[in-house]
Amino acid sequence: MSAGKSRFQRLTQMAGQGFLLAVTSMSTLAVLFIFYFIAKDAVPFFLKTAGGFNWETTRQFFTGSKWYPAGTPGQFGALSIIYGSAIVTVGAIIVAVPLGIAAAVCLSDVLPFRVRQIVKPVIEILAAIPSVAYGFFALVVFAPMLQEKGDTLLAVGSWIILLPILGLGTLVASDVLSDRFKGRIRTGSRLVLWGLFGGGSLYFLHRFSGFLNSLEIDSGTNAFNVSIILGIMALPTVVSVSEDALQAVGRELREGSYALGATRAETLCLTIIPAAISGICAAVILGVMRAVGETMVVWMASGNAAQIPAPFYNFLQPVRTLTATIAGDMGEADHVTGSYRYSVLFAMALLLLIFSFGMNLASEWVVRRSRKKVGK
Amino acid sequence: MGRPPIPEKSGEISVRLETRHLLDRSFSGLGFVAIFFMAASLVVILLPIIVKGLSAYLFTGTIEFREAMNDQFDHGDRAAVQAEARLAEQARQPLYDCLTAFADGQSKQLDRLTAIAQGMAAREDSLGRSVARKMRRFDPQAPFSSQLKTLQGVYDRAAANRGAVDVVDELAEMNTILAGLSTLNEKVEAFEHALSELLGPLPGQTPPRLLRSQYGQTRWDRALIKQRQFLFEEEWVHPPDGAPSYIKETPRIEHFRGTALEPAFALIEHDLESMLRPKFTFYWRFLTDTSKDANFFGGIWAEVLGTFYLTLGAMLFAVPMGVIAAIYLCEYAKPSRFISFLRTCISTLAGVPSIVFGLFGLAFFLNTLEVSHNKSVLAGSMTLALMILPTIIRASEEAILAVPQTYKEAALGLGAGRWHTVLTVVLPASLPGILTGIVISMGRAAGETAPIIFTAAVSVGQPLSIFKAFSQPTPALPWNIYNLCTEHEAVNELRHVQFGMVFTLVAMVLILNLSAIILRAKVSKKLRG
Amino acid sequence: MDTNASTDTIKMKAMSQFSDDLDQPADIGPGEAHVSARDFSVFYGDFEAVKKLNADFAKGRVTAIIGPSGCGKSTFLRSINRMNDLIPVASTGGQLIFDKLNIYDPRIDVVSLRCRIGMVFQKPNPFPKSIYDNVAYGPRLQGIKKRAQLDDIVEKSLRRAAIWKESKDRLKENALGMSGGQQQRLCIARALAVQPEILLMDEPTSALDPKSTSRIEDLIAELRGGYTIIIVTHNMQQAARVSDQTAFMYEGDLIEFGSTRKLFTNPTEKQTEEYITGRFG
Repeated sequence: MSAGKSRFQRLTQMAGQGFLLAVTSMSTLAVLFIFYFIAKDAVPFFLKTAGGFNWETTRQFFTGSKWYPAGTPGQFGALSIIYGSAIVTVGAIIVAVPLGIAAAVCLSDVLPFRVRQIVKPVIEILAAIPSVAYGFFALVVFAPMLQEKGDTLLAVGSWIILLPILGLGTLVASDVLSDRFKGRIRTGSRLVLWGLFGGGSLYFLHRFSGFLNSLEIDSGTNAFNVSIILGIMALPTVVSVSEDALQAVGRELREGSYALGATRAETLCLTIIPAAISGICAAVILGVMRAVGETMVVWMASGNAAQIPAPFYNFLQPVRTLTATIAGDMGEADHVTGSYRYSVLFAMALLLLIFSFGMNLASEWVVRRSRKKVGK
Repeated sequence: MGRPPIPEKSGEISVRLETRHLLDRSFSGLGFVAIFFMAASLVVILLPIIVKGLSAYLFTGTIEFREAMNDQFDHGDRAAVQAEARLAEQARQPLYDCLTAFADGQSKQLDRLTAIAQGMAAREDSLGRSVARKMRRFDPQAPFSSQLKTLQGVYDRAAANRGAVDVVDELAEMNTILAGLSTLNEKVEAFEHALSELLGPLPGQTPPRLLRSQYGQTRWDRALIKQRQFLFEEEWVHPPDGAPSYIKETPRIEHFRGTALEPAFALIEHDLESMLRPKFTFYWRFLTDTSKDANFFGGIWAEVLGTFYLTLGAMLFAVPMGVIAAIYLCEYAKPSRFISFLRTCISTLAGVPSIVFGLFGLAFFLNTLEVSHNKSVLAGSMTLALMILPTIIRASEEAILAVPQTYKEAALGLGAGRWHTVLTVVLPASLPGILTGIVISMGRAAGETAPIIFTAAVSVGQPLSIFKAFSQPTPALPWNIYNLCTEHEAVNELRHVQFGMVFTLVAMVLILNLSAIILRAKVSKKLRG
Repeated sequence: MDTNASTDTIKMKAMSQFSDDLDQPADIGPGEAHVSARDFSVFYGDFEAVKKLNADFAKGRVTAIIGPSGCGKSTFLRSINRMNDLIPVASTGGQLIFDKLNIYDPRIDVVSLRCRIGMVFQKPNPFPKSIYDNVAYGPRLQGIKKRAQLDDIVEKSLRRAAIWKESKDRLKENALGMSGGQQQRLCIARALAVQPEILLMDEPTSALDPKSTSRIEDLIAELRGGYTIIIVTHNMQQAARVSDQTAFMYEGDLIEFGSTRKLFTNPTEKQTEEYITGRFG
């Protein structure tokens, strides 16, 4: 073998690797380009036409809630829109996180293998359904249902959700409290406490569902509708990521806990979930990102009213989110490329981008920190 | 419960075992509830989409449907359709006879009015002159309502005239007839509108311009709704005390008691079937027909084709890039700052909201690179490709890492080069895994809407030929679903088309995903041996 | 095994019958039996991992189970506190009697059973919590919340596990920061904190260095008398050093069971002899 040939070989090898690296770097390039191009079109919004930073519009953007982009001059107060994004995300998280973690725990520790094999595809299909189909369901099926029978639906829902929880709370609380006594007093006090707590929670439920039943739902396209649907959409992410985290904890810790006479719930709550908490946090973060970035569902079913609901926690009013505003207003702004109307949408996109980037870094940090802690 | 035969230890223990078991069981119960909720929401969401979506393909079509299909798409046997249409026409004849009889009666009354008016116009006094001036504008060929209006004017003029003392009787007669005709006139127009919506243009009407008005109801389920709207007048009632508004239905027949139109209601109520001849229809061409008159007729081929182009285009860009990146990351990259930065970038890319991809596509591919003059499939595909790139990289990486190290070592030990090993050993062994990832991201690309709004999708369009695909925008299923159910002018009339589109899209995506699930199951079985 | 008693009365009757029917083994050997296996088998699906075992484990003594890997000794050990319940395909036959009841009786409460039969595993598995929380884990489950009481239990357990000196100044530190041998002794302390009667040890030293191993062995010697200890070990010297009685298992069968001295000096069975002289295994 001549030296020339081996040099040639080495050169081709280098070139080949360089090519691979170049292709791989495309995704890096893409991320940088996305940041650059979104920022490039967003920046004019924060600048005066004459140059220099425009405090006025910037302050209006973050603190004003008047959104009249078509006015002369246009008003670009995005606070209500940012708030809309926040409220539907919070709603989605309220739906997705408890259910998702409970389902993940059930999948990893409770269900037998065969049932798991059936449930997993269900999760995958739930994740695969296109967002526009969810949006269509929210708009065409769920919204009319909410509008016509929403109050009854809420009341029945509150019974279904709260009755078992309160019943259980009653049993456990009276058990724990009555355990302070001994002998016959214990049984007696338990019975009394049952009656006390049970009656109390039944009364509360009655009042609460009565309150829900008296609510008037003007429009089925509102934050509540969107929150439920977004929650369902975020569920698969939360479930699969936290299940992975729970599985990663390993059998040794589970056995250690069981051998000390812990029940399954105690093992999970006191040992496994704390050990997997960083993975579960990452799951929640990913769920948040899915809900914040979702466009079609909120565009179709949130009502698209740029307003802060009154009172601020009222989920039954229409809202408008960042993503829906970008999608909906770009059509009109398109023709006047370069104007405030156009760049304000890029400013919103930049906001979304920075948020998701921060969330992503946070989830990576959480995972890395936990790896360091466990020392693996 | 006769619980613990193994007795509790005495002493410090203070939480009862029963309580702990109760908590344990309710904890598991919570998990079951969550799983059940997930499965239930899947069913609740998919069921209406499947059931109602199938009704775009399988439904009871009327003769109007077959006629429209025959006229517009040349489907079906022309002679047979026309023969059937004649039968329907025969069944409708009694109804049309009613209309004719009614119109005759009305024109008789109109004649009487004209006669009276002309009688008055013939007079020599001021009344006669003013009526005659009015009557000069009278045109017996004009539509019924405008004739009526002129005559009403004549009456008003005459009644106001002081010299009208000796024509009191005539005026009184005129007034009665006019009152009867004009109150009825509004109702008759509504009647004819409702009827033509149900059965198509009525005989003698000028043929309407819009295609959708040239035919009656094409679907029996819609026809039944229209039948009800014909039989009952709907009216919103707003109670003064602030109670919620509601729709009040009054039988339309009430307005036509005693007229020649009265029997028409019974005919519509009982003989609609023979007028529309409903027949079970399997319209598989819904998938392959283009749409006419903004989805009122035909199918969704343009949208389906557009979705195909976009998905395949996205794959064309994303698969080579993704697989190469995965190979590099798994086989060549040594851990370094740059590589970990690269990985952060990939996960950032995965987290970018889809609408931001859309804006980026607009700002970069269209406004900066100008890959095409306007929105185009090319720009849309590239945007989608960026979006699914991280998914493909991750799936391929996993598949490559799952290849047993021994395979590689064996190949390397035989003196194969690294690149050769990758091509001949690693890639073939990880191919099923990579395919699974590709298939899943295909589903994602097909169903994603936000990135194509600004880069590729238009609401109305014809199917593109493959040559035009790269420079032209296209309709696409996800975008047109949105468009049809929010921005179309007849949202409620076209529910079946919307459901049909959603069903088609969901079916496409689910078929892709199910094949991925099956593929993976086979692979894991093979790996397990 | 399958008592489908539906009401309490039937259960009580069954219980009394059950305890009457117990045939007390005639030859109880040295000391009173604490756990007795009667034709006890463990199956993984169709595979019989432990075959109709008959043995009495004496109270307050250390019993070692030896045998080549895969002989079913760990499986048997894990079935004593029903850790095998965690494996879905595992099932049992025959009886394993503890405190006059079959451990696999459906009326047995696994949680309280495991409080009385503790276990130490092959690989040290402290929870990723502080040393204090690790030891206090079991007592807290039983509802002990008073700080002083917990402090007392933690100190006693750590002392008994001979790790108090090393850990008393770092009780709040994460247990994962300890060395392997310390972790294993912590696990023993953790098991002792629940005040079990029986301590199962599944090759407790196989993951440890010789020095830590000898400390654990010393510890076992100290615990002897206070607890019934059943230890599975790979290491015949260890069995000879720490145990009063030794059982030799081979392919799921109990080949020989007797006093450690006799088994190692004068085995009855040929297989035992071959094993302890190192001809296979």
